[in-house]
Parts: sequence; structure tokens; C-alpha cells
Amino acid sequence: MSNEETILRGEGLVKDYRMGPARLRVLHGVDIAVRRGEFLCILGPSGSGKSTLLHLLGLLDRPTEGRVIFEGEDAFSRAKRWRDRMRNEAIGFVFQFYYLMPDLSVVENALLPAMIRTSLAAWPFTRWGERARAMAVLKDVGLGERVQHLPRELSGGERQRAAIARALVHRPRVLFADEPTGNLDSATGAEIMRVLERLNRKEGLTVVMVTHDASIAKRADRVLHLADGKLLTGRQ
Amino acid sequence: MGEWLTSPWFWPAVAAGGAVVLALAALILLSPVYKHIVCLKYLFGGWKAVVPIISALPAALGVFLLILVFAIMDGFVNETREMTRGTLADIIVDAHLGGMPYYDEFADRIKRIEGVEATTPVIQSYVVARIKPSGEFRFVKPIVRPCLLLGIRPAEKAKMGRFVNYLGRKVPPDAPPQALEHLLDVPTEYQRAGQPPRPGVIAGTAVIGVPVTDYVSETVQVGAGRRVLAWFLAAAATAAFLFIWRAAVHRPGRVGWRVAMGLAALSAVGLSVAALAAPVRPGQVIRPEVVDYPLLKRGDDLVVSTIPVRPSGAIKMEPGGLPKVSSRVFALVDVFRSKYWEADSSHLYVDFDVAQQMAGMEGSPAEGVPARASQIQVKVRDPAAAGTVVDHIQKAWEAFQAERPDEDLPHVTVNTWETQQRMILTIVKVQRNITTLMLGLMFVGFAVLIALISYVMAYIKSRDVGILKAVGASDAGVGSLFLGYGFLIGLLGTALGMIGAILMLHYLDQIEIWVNQTLEVDVFPRTMYYFEHIPRHLSPWWCVGVGGAVLGLATLASMVGGLLAAIRQPVETLRYE
Repeated sequence: MSNEETILRGEGLVKDYRMGPARLRVLHGVDIAVRRGEFLCILGPSGSGKSTLLHLLGLLDRPTEGRVIFEGEDAFSRAKRWRDRMRNEAIGFVFQFYYLMPDLSVVENALLPAMIRTSLAAWPFTRWGERARAMAVLKDVGLGERVQHLPRELSGGERQRAAIARALVHRPRVLFADEPTGNLDSATGAEIMRVLERLNRKEGLTVVMVTHDASIAKRADRVLHLADGKLLTGRQ
Repeated sequence: MGEWLTSPWFWPAVAAGGAVVLALAALILLSPVYKHIVCLKYLFGGWKAVVPIISALPAALGVFLLILVFAIMDGFVNETREMTRGTLADIIVDAHLGGMPYYDEFADRIKRIEGVEATTPVIQSYVVARIKPSGEFRFVKPIVRPCLLLGIRPAEKAKMGRFVNYLGRKVPPDAPPQALEHLLDVPTEYQRAGQPPRPGVIAGTAVIGVPVTDYVSETVQVGAGRRVLAWFLAAAATAAFLFIWRAAVHRPGRVGWRVAMGLAALSAVGLSVAALAAPVRPGQVIRPEVVDYPLLKRGDDLVVSTIPVRPSGAIKMEPGGLPKVSSRVFALVDVFRSKYWEADSSHLYVDFDVAQQMAGMEGSPAEGVPARASQIQVKVRDPAAAGTVVDHIQKAWEAFQAERPDEDLPHVTVNTWETQQRMILTIVKVQRNITTLMLGLMFVGFAVLIALISYVMAYIKSRDVGILKAVGASDAGVGSLFLGYGFLIGLLGTALGMIGAILMLHYLDQIEIWVNQTLEVDVFPRTMYYFEHIPRHLSPWWCVGVGGAVLGLATLASMVGGLLAAIRQPVETLRYE
């Protein structure tokens, strides 16, 4: 694996959580590299630290020790503003519980990354272009008819597709998916997986997914096993 | 409004206000659009928006009361100031009862000071007035009242304040000085054959009168109070319609919402039509008012007695050790009514020379004793600069004293009218300030409420905070969303309170009449106040100050929620469901 192919790398990642006076080590020096355009799955049981690893790689949380290199930059030695910008422009997140803004409609949720990077003064000029792009992505994930609905008016599968649309509308370079099918029935979960596979295969989107479901994981290009905060070698 | 426009602070304040508004506009325009959209969704997103709207009500009530009460109390202060000032002059050079010699010479010197427009000497002496009622009251026993005798030169005094405006007779504002000189002259028909001519006196309306309750009729606009009430209710119905509409948008197909929306719309339209169509017509109201019923008519005798004071301050004595009493019979030529009780119940205006003689201040050229005056009243061009003129007059008097080292000139006090009347003005101002302070404490409650609401909002919206941060919103950006939330609640409260207060002040008399007649509660009894209407003075500065304070307080208080949102780590909120 050459450096040119690597879009994201974690080096010696350690994460501790404080539990009162005690410290709980969730990750024990994880080294991980993600190649551009691959579909990587991190498989592990509940409590193995896979969501924590995903949050560190997605720049949502700071490691206690170690580095995250994103597109050649040491993310946590850069200013917080840079990490915010990366999350807004280069990274997309899909969560197990969708995490859509309940007060915003589907299309407004999809426009959220654009609304975060655009000022009120510029919005009237960019709004229609951004909206057209959001509508195209929503149509692509099969929500063309539900754009004005609030999240609570959608089914679980539709909510997850709306969350995927929000994660994709700004054309991220890496998509992080945290148990995207964990809260869905098997048919809807399979449908979501098909969407993710299509994005990876046809549009070359790098996907990093964590799951505890081995049947879901086997659809990825590469699977890493995480147990007790450590990556297991030789089981790729 | 006029005083506001002519204030020297007007343009600097406009420039500062403009700069603040521009800075705020730039801040808003350059901030990310998500903050505005999410903030407005939190505020106006269906029925839960009722919470912030209700939390705006304490602010609205506080703004309403502060503006209303301050305007009324400031109206009292202003009216009292104007009444007090009208009976005095801008500056009073007071030599007290002992008097000051060479007053005309010193008055000329004062006139040469920059900013001085006119001067006049005044004699002031404490007297007793004996009023023997005449005509229908001729059987009433004579009344003796303590009074203040003021010896004036009418034409000069007329330039000092509003003396002429307070007289019973109508004197045109452009009356020539010659006409004013004769204000104290006794017309021939008042003089009595076979008796020595009597000098004239202008007496305060309460000096020669007895207070009686009279019922006076007043023309008012009947129905205006009902119209205001209808407008308030129409605005409330419109707000209710907007809320129901917002909520109904997300609940398509539910009949109950449509019915509620229809009812609210119908109410809003109906009340607006009622407000427009409510008849407002002139009508008569009759209400009690205290008037001073005069016991004397023009031309009647008024006997004034006083004890003359020597230049040393000693009382002139008769042989035998009794104080010498100086008495004189005057003919009443006019009455004086300034609505300032202190003046109306004690002032007797007589000719300067006559008063000087009665007070024993006429001097004796043969013995080389100069004549004296109690005061020199000074009119300045710019009342705001009176303080500077006071300093110049004090220096001029010191120089005047230094030029006459052998004369032993008395000590004089130089004060503006405001300083001299500080007791009465201070009492009214203290009342105003205490009321303002107590009402201002309401805002502490409002700030606590906003702080709690913003904290609870940031807490219950913590998942939204996590989502926003996960898609790239900065900590400060998400925190400021909650500041904007508090600011908008404050803005809503300020707008509601200010509109309500301005409307209330505009229709205060009509509302007072409506309350008086409908509820039979006399909120402003004319038997206690000299004012014909509830005084009011709406200061735009005060409105700006109150509005700014509420907005600032709301924004500051919402920092509690803002800080909670800013420091919250996204993984803390997104990790657990």
C-alpha cells in the first residue's frame, strides 16, 4: 500500500474516557490506513471501540495519543477550524440513528453542509444551485417525492436515505458510516447497502463503515476486525 | 420630539446607532445561513414556539411598564419643572431678606455677561394678607394668610418666565413693553372716591380663593379606548392564526387544525373590521375638579402687612420694643394661576417701589443709605448654559465687592432656578427613579427566564448541536445560534412592549376616561392634581435605552445556553441514543 493511495491514516491511536476518577482505555494504539476509493469495513462486537475509531478518523473526536493523517495533513496539529472545514467539505457521516435535524425538512437537512459554509449574504445567489444539487441527490436515493417532509414523517429506511443524501450532497471524499443498517429491518438494510456499494463502485467514493454484522461486512472490499480496542492482524 | 431633534447629542447618537446597526447587519449577513434558518425554525416551528413567545412576554411587560411609567412620571417632572421655572427666572442672584444695595448697577453689569438676555431686581418679603370677602361672601369672616410679597417691575418681570401667561387677563404674546408696564396699574373705576389711591396687587389664585370641588365638562373622543382594545385583540388573533398555520402545515389533512385556523382568521378579520368601524365621536364627560373659588373680585381690598428689615438684617422696632409693622391696602387687579401650588397659594405681586418701601429697603439718600433689593433675576439665552453664567455672575459679584471695600456688601447666593427648587424637583425625580428601578428589577427575572430557557433549549437540542458540529459547524457558530435565539426573544418582547406602550400613551386620556366611566375607577383624580390631563413625556432616548438594555440582557442571558452548546463535544451527543 503506497502513500499515494492512502487518503486517511491513523497512527498509534489511543482513546481514553474518564469515568469519574477512573480511566477507561477504549482504543489501544490502533494503526489503520484507508486507501482512496476502497470500501473498508471495521467489524467488531459491541463495545469493541469501532464507533470511537470511526469518530477519531472522521475528526469528530480527538485521540488521547496518536495521529490522524487526512490527505497528508496531521489533522490534530492543525487548527480546529481546519477540521471543521474538512468535516464540512471532505467528509460525510451516516449514523445508525440517522441524526437528521427534526425541525428541518428533508431537503433542508440535505442542504445543511451548504448552509454551514455559506453566509446569509451569499445564500440568495448560491441557494438555487445548491438546492438543485440536493434535489438530484435526493432523487438518486429515491426520495424525490419526499423532499418537503419532516424526518418524523418518513420511514426508517427513508430517514437513512435522507441521511446518506445529506452526507453525499457536498461530494465528500470519504464517507463514514456507523452501523448504517443497525436500526433497520433486513430488507431496508440491504437496500441501504446497495446504495453505499453503488456510490463506492460507480462514483469511486471512499467508504469506511463499522458494523457488528458479519453478513453486512462481507460486502466490503476489505474487512478489519476490532476487538477490545485492538485491530486483529491476519484477519483482513 | 423637538427637543430630541435639537439635542446636541442627536447626530452623534444617530451616528453611533447607525454604526451599531451596520455592524450588527454585517455580522448577521456574514454569518452562516444555517444559524438563521435553524434559529427561526426553533422559534416559529409549530406549537413548541409558544414557549419562547411566552418567555418574551415578561420582557414585553417590562418594556411596556418601564416606558409607560417613566413617560408619565417624566411628564410629572417636566410639568413641575415648567411650572416652577415659569414662576421664577433662569438664574436668581439672592441677597435674602437683608437685601443687596446698588442692584441696578450690578444688574447692568450682569447684562454685559455673555449669554445674558435680561435682568430685573425683585423685592421679596414675608407678609400676612388679610382677605375680607366681598359680594355674596361678605358675611364670611376675614381670612388671614401668610404670603410672599414680590415687588416687581412688570415689563422686566414679563421677560423672565411665563409670568404673563399665568395672569387672569389675556396678554398677547407680542404685547409691547409699554403695555406690560401697566399690569399693576389700578383702573380708575376701581379707585374709591374720597380715599387715597391704592396700589395694585396680583394675587395667587389660592391666596384669595377657597378650594371647592366643581364639576367641569370636557369634550373627549368617545370610543377610542374600545378601538385600541379591538386592535390589540386583532393583533393577538393574527399571531394565533400564524401559529396555527405553522403547526397545520406539518399536519396536512387534520380537520381540527383547519377549523382552529379558520376561527383565528375570522377573529382577526372580525376584530380588525370592528377596530376600523368602531365609532369614535366627540362626547362630553363631566368630572370633579378642584377649583379655587375667589373670595375677592377685582378692585376689592387686600391688606398686606410686613415687618421691615434693616440692611444689617435687624428688624425695625417701634419705641417700646415692639416690631414695627408696615401695612398697606392694595386693590386686586388680577389673579395669578401657574398650577404650581407653592406659587399660587402664596405669591402676591406688587409694584417694585411699593414693596421696597414696605420692606424698609427704600434707603435714605440724605443719610447716605442706598436702596436695596432682595434678588436680581436673570434670563439667559441658552438655559442649558445657565451653569456657566452662574459662575460668571459669582465672579462679577466678587469683583463688584472688591471695588467697594468700605461698603461691606452682603454675601449673595447665585443659583439656577433648578438648584433653588431642587427640593421639589428632587422629590419627583426620586419617585421616578425608584419606580424605574423597581420595574427594572423585572428584567432580572426576565434574564433568569431567558437563561433557563436557553439552557434547556441547548440541552434538549444537544443532538442537533452534535449533528451541526458533525457536518462542520464551528463551536462558536453553534453557540451563537442560541445567542441569536435569546436576542430574537428579546427583540420580540421589546417590539411588543414598545408598540403597546406607545399606543397606550397615545390614547391615555381616552383609556383613562373609559376606565373612569366603565369601571368607575378614578385613576387620575382632578381633585388631587392641578393637571388637566395625565402628564406624559415620551423620551426616544429612554425607549432606545430600554430596548437596548432588554436586547443586551436577553443576548447575555442566552449565553448560558450558547456556552453549553459551544463546549458540547459532538461525540457526547451522538454516541448514545
